[in-house]
Amino acid sequence: MSGVAQADPLTQRDRLFAATYRCVERFGLGKTTIEDVVKESGVSRATVYRQFPGGRDELMLETVGWELSNYFTRLADHVRDAPDLAELLRSGLWFAHRSIGEHALLRKIMDTEPERLLPLLTTESARTLPFIADFLLPYLRREADAGRLRPGIDLAGAAEYLARSILSLIGAPGRWDLEDPDQVGDLVATELLGGICVQRNDP
Amino acid sequence: MHRETPPQAVRLLDAALTCIGRVGLAKTTLDDVAREARCARATVYRYFPGKQQLIGALVEREVANFGQHLLAAAAGAESLGDAVTAIITTGADALVGHPALTFVAAFEPELLLPHLAFERESAVLCAAAELVAPAFAPFLPIDHATRLAEWVARITLSYLCCPSDHLDVHDVAQVRALVDDFVLPGFLRPAALEGITP
Repeated sequence: MSGVAQADPLTQRDRLFAATYRCVERFGLGKTTIEDVVKESGVSRATVYRQFPGGRDELMLETVGWELSNYFTRLADHVRDAPDLAELLRSGLWFAHRSIGEHALLRKIMDTEPERLLPLLTTESARTLPFIADFLLPYLRREADAGRLRPGIDLAGAAEYLARSILSLIGAPGRWDLEDPDQVGDLVATELLGGICVQRNDP
Repeated sequence: MHRETPPQAVRLLDAALTCIGRVGLAKTTLDDVAREARCARATVYRYFPGKQQLIGALVEREVANFGQHLLAAAAGAESLGDAVTAIITTGADALVGHPALTFVAAFEPELLLPHLAFERESAVLCAAAELVAPAFAPFLPIDHATRLAEWVARITLSYLCCPSDHLDVHDVAQVRALVDDFVLPGFLRPAALEGITP
């Protein structure tokens, strides 16, 4: 495109995030500089600072946030059409576990500079929890409308509980093998939905 | 730590705990610990060849104390709900009230956080499950007690690391409601006992 039209600021931010992401893949979180991002993106130094007045630290934090929201968007797309909440949680846990294990950059940073990534992830999980809870709320409503919820369940409370459960399991499977469909089915029926959904073999 | 820990080693561990609470893990030196315990540097080296061994022994002792404190809090529980609630609230209080741990969490998160994510968090959760399972054993078969204990550790960590607007993890009544509404029903179904235990 030619002319003097203002570049869409959102697009510009996205371009910067994508460029920063590529730099981090190459140099790591600690060694990537604003100069690297300027070179990679073709965006001027002044524009980078206009978009991210906090400089390098802000750019890194926002880039981690950007990649996390991409991750959760992919997760949401994967589960969106699940027929019910239990299936949504089962396929979501499987997909989330798989895709975080295969996330090459995350693995690399965890191996080489976890001390830089983890504070960013902690800050981000405060944003991620409400994102997951909001995503789950309509599915909980659908279960309620279908008469599959236990009586007296507070939907917002249930959504927060499930969001915490999911985030915890994505971060660390612990004793669970999230690749095993039988284990995931049992985990979803017991720990996650035991108090929320009426179970088929309940009296 | 075993019961036969020599009194001088106990004093050194207490001193290390005080130092870490004051200046953090990175800045605490064996000299500081010797000074705090009012003993010679050589004494420190007699019990602990280096800082790493001293910290290792300290963590081991603190974890054991934490476990005993939790089991004592749940010892009088008359129901599984009482026991789970006691473990969560007592655990949350003890972790937040631990001066050395809170210093590290606030000022040296890079030393603590690697243990709270991915493989190393899994190891922490499994260790916590083993530590706490005896509290639930009077009410559940042991494999289910361990499974519940792992879940309880997750819930507690989640509310500590990422506080909620709706629930205070130190408040017994609020935690009891969470336990009764969401955590326990799945474990109390007769069908649950036929489930798969990882």
